[in-house]
This record gives sequence, C-alpha cells and structure tokens, in this order.
Amino acid sequence: MQHVAIFFMLILVAFSGCSQSTTPQPSPQKNELSLIETETENNSDVEKISDTEDEIDDDNDGFEEEFSTEKTETHSDPLSGYNRSMTNFNDKVYTYALNPVAEAYAYVIPQPFRIGLSNFIKNLNFPVRLVNNLLQGKMQNVSDETGRFLANSTIGLLGVMDPATSYLHIPAHVEDFGQTLGYYGVGTGFHIVLPFLGPSNLRDLAGISVDAYASPLINIRGLERYKIPKNWVESMGIVAIHMINKTSLNLGQYESIKKDALDLYPFLRDIYEQKRVSDIAE
Amino acid sequence: MLKKIILIFLLTIINSYAVQEQNIQKTMDSKIKKVLQVLQNKNLSLKQKEKQSIRIMDSVFDYKKMAQISLGRKWKTLSSKEKSQFASAFEKKIKHSYVDKLRLYNNQRVIIKKLKKTKKNRISLESTIIGKSDTYDVVYQFYKRANKNDWYIYDVRLSGVSIVQTYRKQFSDFLKTKSFKQLLKSL
Repeated sequence: MQHVAIFFMLILVAFSGCSQSTTPQPSPQKNELSLIETETENNSDVEKISDTEDEIDDDNDGFEEEFSTEKTETHSDPLSGYNRSMTNFNDKVYTYALNPVAEAYAYVIPQPFRIGLSNFIKNLNFPVRLVNNLLQGKMQNVSDETGRFLANSTIGLLGVMDPATSYLHIPAHVEDFGQTLGYYGVGTGFHIVLPFLGPSNLRDLAGISVDAYASPLINIRGLERYKIPKNWVESMGIVAIHMINKTSLNLGQYESIKKDALDLYPFLRDIYEQKRVSDIAE
Repeated sequence: MLKKIILIFLLTIINSYAVQEQNIQKTMDSKIKKVLQVLQNKNLSLKQKEKQSIRIMDSVFDYKKMAQISLGRKWKTLSSKEKSQFASAFEKKIKHSYVDKLRLYNNQRVIIKKLKKTKKNRISLESTIIGKSDTYDVVYQFYKRANKNDWYIYDVRLSGVSIVQTYRKQFSDFLKTKSFKQLLKSL
C-alpha cells in the first residue's frame, strides 16, 4: 500500500515537474531571454500580447501564414494536359526501361566504379558551376568549386575520386543557369515536363540550353574543340549513361517518393518547384 | 530499491516526453545516432528495425500538428471525431513513408550542422545525409507549444522540399474535386 502511495506521489511530482519547466528558472537560457526582454520594455509588452494571441489561436500558431498556399500556388499551367501524359510516359520509361537497365548495370558493374563514374562526370561539369557561381557573384562558392576541381582532378585521379569532400571537406555548390535567372528574380514561367528528363519549367529549360554551352559534355556546333562528344549522338549517349549510372546509385528512390503521391503529376511538379525555390535561395 | 526503480522509470518517461529548447540538438543527435545503430544492426529483421526506429523518433514528432497544418483551413470545419480520424490516418501515412525511406538506408552518415532559432517559437535543426555519391540536406523544424518549453517537430524538409507543405498542396488539390471522406479513404 505504501508503495502505491509513493508511486502516485512520484507521478504527481513528475508531471508537475513537466509544467514547472515553464516557470522562470535560473538557467542560462532564461537569463538571456529575460535580458533581452528587459532591454526594451515596449518590446516585451508586444511580446506579451503576441503570447496571449498564441494561446487563443492555439490551433493556428502562425502555421497558416507559414504554409500559406501563395508560396506554392502554381501559376497557370497551360500545358497540364501534355504534362500529365508526359509524366505518365516518363514513369513508364522509368519502370520498364531505365530501372531494369540500371538494375542489371548495377549487378554487373561494382559500386565503386559507378561512384567513380558519377564523380568523374560531376567533375567535368565544373565549368557550369563556375560560370553560374560567378554570374551570381558568389565568390566563396567560386573559390570552393575551383579548389574542388583542382583537388579532384589531380589527387582525385581526373575526378574519379572525390577527396575534396572526403578529406578536404570543401562543400560543393551546384548552380545552374536556371538558378542564376531565378537569383536575379526571373519567374519560373509555366511548368513543362521534359521527355526522359522529367519536371522542368520555362526558365529552367532556358537555363539548360545555356548551360549546354558551358558543359563539355554536350556537343554544340562551332564549339567542337572544347567539347568531348563529337556529335549529338555521342552527347545523347553520355547523357543516357549518366542517367543509368545515377539511377543505379539510387535504386528504389523514385519508387519510394512516388508512394507519397496521391496524384503523381502535381506531386512531382510541386516537389520540383519547391526544390528549385530552395536551391535558388541557397 | 523499488522506489529507485520507479523513479528511474519515471524519469525516463519524462525524458522521452518532450524536448526542451536547450536539449534539442543533443536529443536529436542521440536519437539519430540510435536510429543509425538500429539500421546498421545486422541481427535485427527489417520489421524490428522499422519498429525501433519509429519508437526512437516518435516522442519528438507532433503528428497531430502535422496533420492539422497539412489540411489547412479545412481542419477547422471538421468535427472532433473527423479530426482524430484524419490525424491517426495521417500519422500512419507519415510513419509508413518514413519507414519506406529507411529501407533505402545504405550506410550513409548523418551530420548535424546547426541549430537556428528562426522565431521565438520556431527552431530549425539542419543536418546533412552523406552518401557515397550524393549528399542531402535534411532540416527538422521544431515549434514551441504555447506557454511551455516543450518543442516538437512539425515539419521536415528534405533537400528543400517540405513534407507538410507537399501534403498540404496535395490535400487541397484533392479536396477541390473530392470529399473529405474520400481523402480519408485514400490515406
């Protein structure tokens, strides 16, 4: 009986302890807060008001504002019919061609080799990142990316290894021309789903075309000396190998993401646009 | 002896109950480490791994809040029974999705980068998942319950994509043409 009484006492103490955490305690955190509050009397008044507002509006808490639909409300989607069927097409391509090929490829080619190829291709695309970081005036990124390129191209055996990430801890800064346009306030334009490549929009499509000039992996007439592929067939080949290789390193990822969708096309569109907004903000 | 045991038991309950501001980084760090240990443990079956990972993370997530935000204004029009139905369906959906993502785990490392207090009652914890060929940013968004020092996760951003925002968009699109009952069913 005594034990039961102790048990109840403990429960009471324990749960009151839970709520006690809100009463002022001489913890360093609280001290900081109280300092800030006493610094400006008026401000603390305002804070008190907003505190009570929080209480009343408990099921809102400012979340409606934070997640206001305006931010993600898609602009006009004139191509929605086409986009929907292209999403379907890409989904089929993925399921019946890309994924099985990538699985077989992953079975035959050992992972370190595939990672090496992925690093190699990323390293070759350095000019795209350099140009776009420069255009956005991000000088720290320019120096990081240049350092990465130099390190990976030399100690990293022509970019097959990535010592810049694993040993030197220089962060990568992927930027493309779509992001550069976004950085200078260019709107997305309407959403376009590209065959094989997936979701994009008018701005990013323009971006891809411009980046093709800087990338040594895409053949452009007149720039053959600087480019690795000699014609567009070879460019396509490189893109295809890159896609298969990339898929082989991320098997199951698309399927897993797809499961979260109620309706695939708007879901992928929304994810893409959200990701681009955050990439541009970086 | 018994007293001690009970005390320890209760203390652990309280600890797993909610996170306080000064502990967010520490707690999340240890939780993530625990999940990684579970995932790397070869003696556990897939089911066990999933169960244990969810149990570790459960106490910091506010599923009800996530459900509420993701439904937006529609939430207020629901009866309390519908609210709880939806919240539990949503919780299942989120957990299922989380577990499904865990299956992709392939010895990635997780680094907690920094804690940012964005507002008086909002904190975001930035972390990075480092895989062999790619890295992903994961940001855990915490909010403070009114008048308490208890912090809970209300959203997770994976490479800049907010989970709650994505659901919110989907639900609002769904409800434009279909009913709440159908939504509940499709979850």
